[in-house]
Amino acid sequence: MRGLLGWLLLGGALAAQEAAPAGAAALSRGLDAENGNRAREAVTAYREAIAAGAVVQGVLGLERVFSLTMQEDSVLAALDTLLPRFPGESALRGVQLRALVSLGRPRAADAAFRAWCATRPSDLAPYRDYARILLFNNRAAAVDTVLRDAATALGSLQGLALELAQMRAGLGRWEESALAWRTVVQDEAYYESAAVFSLTPAPVGARDAVRAALMTGRGTASSATAAASPPTIGVRQVRALLDVAWGSPRDGWTVLAAVPVTDTAVVVWRQFGEEVERAQAWGVARDVWAAVHRARPEASDAWRGAQAALRAGDATGALTLVRGAGVGDSTTRVDVAVPLELEALARLGRGAEVTARLAAESAALGPDRVRLMQRVVAWAWIRAGDVPRARAALAGATLDAEDEVAGWLALYEGDLVAARQALRHVPTPEQDVVRALALLNRTTVPRAPAVGAAFLALGRADTTDAVRRFESAAADLPDAAPVLLAMAARLETGRGADARARRLWQRVAVEHAAAPEAAEAHLEWARGLRRAGDGDGAREHLEHLILTYPGSALVPQARRELDALRPGVAA
Amino acid sequence: MILRVLLIGLLLVGRAVGAQHLLLPMDEAQANHLKAYGVVFGALVDNVRSEWLINYRGGAFLVPDLPSVRRAAALAGVTSEPVDAGTLATMRREIAEGNMDAVPLERAPRIAVYTPPDAPPWDDAVTLALSYAGIKYAKIWDDTVLATDLAQFDWIHLFHEDFTGQQNKLHLGFRDAPWFVQARERDLAMARGHGLADIPTLKKAVAEKLRAFVERGGFLFAMCGATETLELALAAAGIDIAGPYADGSPLDPAADAKLAWDRSFAFQGARLEFAPGINAMSDIDGHQVNVPARRQPLGTFSLFGFSAKFDPVPTMLVQNHRAVMPDFYGVTTSFTRRTLKPGATVLAQEEGAPWVKYLHGSYGRGSWTYLGGHDPEDPQHNIGAPPTDLALHPNSPGYRLILNNVLFPAAKKKTLKT
Repeated sequence: MRGLLGWLLLGGALAAQEAAPAGAAALSRGLDAENGNRAREAVTAYREAIAAGAVVQGVLGLERVFSLTMQEDSVLAALDTLLPRFPGESALRGVQLRALVSLGRPRAADAAFRAWCATRPSDLAPYRDYARILLFNNRAAAVDTVLRDAATALGSLQGLALELAQMRAGLGRWEESALAWRTVVQDEAYYESAAVFSLTPAPVGARDAVRAALMTGRGTASSATAAASPPTIGVRQVRALLDVAWGSPRDGWTVLAAVPVTDTAVVVWRQFGEEVERAQAWGVARDVWAAVHRARPEASDAWRGAQAALRAGDATGALTLVRGAGVGDSTTRVDVAVPLELEALARLGRGAEVTARLAAESAALGPDRVRLMQRVVAWAWIRAGDVPRARAALAGATLDAEDEVAGWLALYEGDLVAARQALRHVPTPEQDVVRALALLNRTTVPRAPAVGAAFLALGRADTTDAVRRFESAAADLPDAAPVLLAMAARLETGRGADARARRLWQRVAVEHAAAPEAAEAHLEWARGLRRAGDGDGAREHLEHLILTYPGSALVPQARRELDALRPGVAA
Repeated sequence: MILRVLLIGLLLVGRAVGAQHLLLPMDEAQANHLKAYGVVFGALVDNVRSEWLINYRGGAFLVPDLPSVRRAAALAGVTSEPVDAGTLATMRREIAEGNMDAVPLERAPRIAVYTPPDAPPWDDAVTLALSYAGIKYAKIWDDTVLATDLAQFDWIHLFHEDFTGQQNKLHLGFRDAPWFVQARERDLAMARGHGLADIPTLKKAVAEKLRAFVERGGFLFAMCGATETLELALAAAGIDIAGPYADGSPLDPAADAKLAWDRSFAFQGARLEFAPGINAMSDIDGHQVNVPARRQPLGTFSLFGFSAKFDPVPTMLVQNHRAVMPDFYGVTTSFTRRTLKPGATVLAQEEGAPWVKYLHGSYGRGSWTYLGGHDPEDPQHNIGAPPTDLALHPNSPGYRLILNNVLFPAAKKKTLKT
């Protein structure tokens, strides 16, 4: 009661919204108390601030404090007194709507909104603020109503495009949302992140429509024949970033690459380059940085592109970029460009060139770095299939028994014990190390030159030879035979040699039915049969997998593929 | 000594024989509720009789322990538990003493889904559920309904077809969409092929055949917009309730007063929506999803509990491992209490709301069941939204309601007391 009376008494002082000096002091005390988690003290201070004339700031303070103490309804009591005196004050109306919505009192919130509209019949603010509050509370359907009311009352939705876009996204009306976002971003490019955030959840089936809506400005149901304005670079950026988020960064780059070269375009390309790097889309990143470099030649961009190219497995592209980069900062050249060039050459198996380039740059690199680079030279010779030269290259380098290069050399020479010791300690093993360990952990045989030769063939990217050697090595290592056969089969599957792959999978499944690879063999065998048009055969293997290996992680996938094979249920 | 050997021998034989039945639990222990219906249905197709243990472990199924059934369950990822004679006796005792019952399932119902010939399986939740569970069904469309004897089917399913012939008033937003134009031309050609003037007349004729199907003993299950529009079409025989965009003539202004509700199954006293610009058919639907100013938010709905021994049919229809589930929109989402006929059995409702979700009733010698909404796992389902992947929802309680309807016509006739 004292509180209510206090509000009534304070009412007389609420003539101005400007914070009087006394109000400022109270506000300051309120903020201090709020920051010190002294809620009661903060409430008292904010009430004083309101009484002193700092109405909006005081009420906003109360809103924060009451929200933290889960007493949102308390701010409503304050507003009951203040709103009649400041009926058109947007900030107070906003506080009222936020409180009512968060308290779950939709009817009261609607009534408050209507009351606000009545005080400002031609004002956008009530519709915009209420829509935003509802959006924040995931009530997109209610926003629809508010926006329709706005269209009726104001004659258009101009100024509410942002809310319209968010509302439509909230309702899953993706294409319409994309059209609204296009309008927003065409006018105000800085909303690009908001647009991407809003449209990213669009399901797969709606994405093409979203893409088209952004680019054309027309929905699929539109009968308009007039061409919409072409997409601005901001809209293209939204489209491109969505493509990244949806796993098709190449499409995104196609959209951005089409714009004429301008300073703005280069800025956008750089941002996109960073985005695709974050997404680890290295092939796209390579192309983006190459384009940036062509538009505004700076060596650092070409080097960045070369790095991306290497990560994408494109050593040739990396070499082209690094050699065409031009003159950059000399320190960075030695720190970045030279190692990149050597690495690219090594991956291409150009051992002699790596050796020569390293010799030429040895003065700039210094002895320590040259020693480190010997490993790269060794890799180059390994790629060329020349293990003795690789060993020779490492003669001057210090390698311990757990070094990855030492592990690979041991493996290539068939020394499985040394290879196991080195490779199992690789801190972040990549796919090839995992593949090697899969074998090394399954056999007790200490030496197997045939296996080494198979891995060496794989290292040289000679798949045909690798397949032949893995299969033949299976005879030498009975305890690892299913692993070796599966390796050969995966290589064949990977290059689309279905019939040959099927023969290998069949060997795994039939000759090694108890091996961990057997379930995979049946799955791949079934897939091969399905691709060959033998649905019944495929079904048989999927069923066998499910029934024989019920604990296999592949069973859910086998069930899914079995469902897909089932003849149409419709009679 | 000889006796001891004999006893041991008998015990060994007993072990070797193993379980006599398999229990497919339908409570939280079940790994794939939806495919369990398919396993039981498949067994019925193979003339393997089963039992539906209503109110026992979420509505479990008891099937003979046959290699074919075991194999089907394993392939589908359906949890099954072997039950020996002793355990079965204990189970039966528990069922006899509680609000539970064992309903024999005798033969696989012949199922038909009323759907356009070119509709993909994911266009409605029932074909989606049937396909996922591996339950065979026939597709029927206006030609089949009008020209053949529907008694060849036990169970007919309707989805979001608009039996008032107004294509769910989607002309308001989609009149130029290719799929809308195509559907309209297809239906118009069908009407003319049967000597009928327009789509509303065609759909009313189809509705009448469906009414006769139920009257003669058929089971009808409808979801989404088919529920409301079938009722309106039945009540509006000889009355123009379609807008001019559908049949070229205005609605009969006195249509509300002329509607003959004694011809409909579930509703009475509903008021038609006359405004052509408002995407609603009547006030039967409580949620009015396509009318923004009237649209009601989604809540949750609860299934009613029935007496298994006295009301086996409603009990079968609400078998579930969840009693409360989130609501989902459809062209018709729910049914206002005000418009329900007194004889309609409410199977599920939203507590405190003026609408219900799930209805059942008898008509003539047959019965009907209505479930509001479009897709239980896609509450906001929009036109053009991607299909629901049921492999990601193998325990969907909402889809179970649909599949309950599929199996319930398999129940032995004498148990269908209501």
